[in-house]
Amino acid sequence: MSEKNNRIPFDENNYTHNIHRNNERKLDRRGFMKTLVGAAGVFAVSSLPWGAVAAKELMGLSEKEYPHKKIADLNKIGIGEAVDFKFPGEHDDALLIRLSEEKFVAYNSACTHLQCPVFWVKEEGEMICPCHHGKFDVESGSPIAGPPRRPLPTIEVKVENGAVYAVRVKRYES
Amino acid sequence: MNRRLVNFISLLICLFLNIVFTQKMVHQFKFENYDVAIMYCVLNLIVFPIALFVFKRDEKQSEVNRREQ
Repeated sequence: MSEKNNRIPFDENNYTHNIHRNNERKLDRRGFMKTLVGAAGVFAVSSLPWGAVAAKELMGLSEKEYPHKKIADLNKIGIGEAVDFKFPGEHDDALLIRLSEEKFVAYNSACTHLQCPVFWVKEEGEMICPCHHGKFDVESGSPIAGPPRRPLPTIEVKVENGAVYAVRVKRYES
Repeated sequence: MNRRLVNFISLLICLFLNIVFTQKMVHQFKFENYDVAIMYCVLNLIVFPIALFVFKRDEKQSEVNRREQ
């Protein structure tokens, strides 16, 4: 019986024994392991750009320097007072606060929640966003209360020739 | 334990480590801890030769086993 079933009738009429089983076990154990090694290779290659960009950031290649801009004269800002200015563009509001005789901090004053202008409250020593009552730490710009979760971008300032200059903006954290 | 199984499982561990390191690397990059991100990138790069070595060793061992049989 079985012998009869296995008999190929003749070549031109071979529609019963036409399944080729050569590739039947394409994904055997070895093949699967090869896939695992290949995946490890893909991971290794794909982590290269991250490392490269991180190294670039570490070396400070991507720190963009804007033309220095004068904010205000030293004798016009009292200790604990704040000055509004625009930096780096005409429409980027920023806030300079004099904390002590020597210490100045400056931040981009658009709140990191919904871009409302943050202002400085001298009595409480905090930067407050009026829209949803977000508060920011004046030393670091990091959020301490309310909806904002990201720190305000820091603007580096420099005191030169009796005036305060804005030098560069630290990158906005995503 | 069976040698074949050991090789297989160590490859799986390699891939798992890859996933973990990649995740950590991306997160540390976003947190701007660039030195830590680079460390995880290097770890990720190291795992690949290890996986390749395990694979080659497995190939060699199964060759030996086949000859013995």
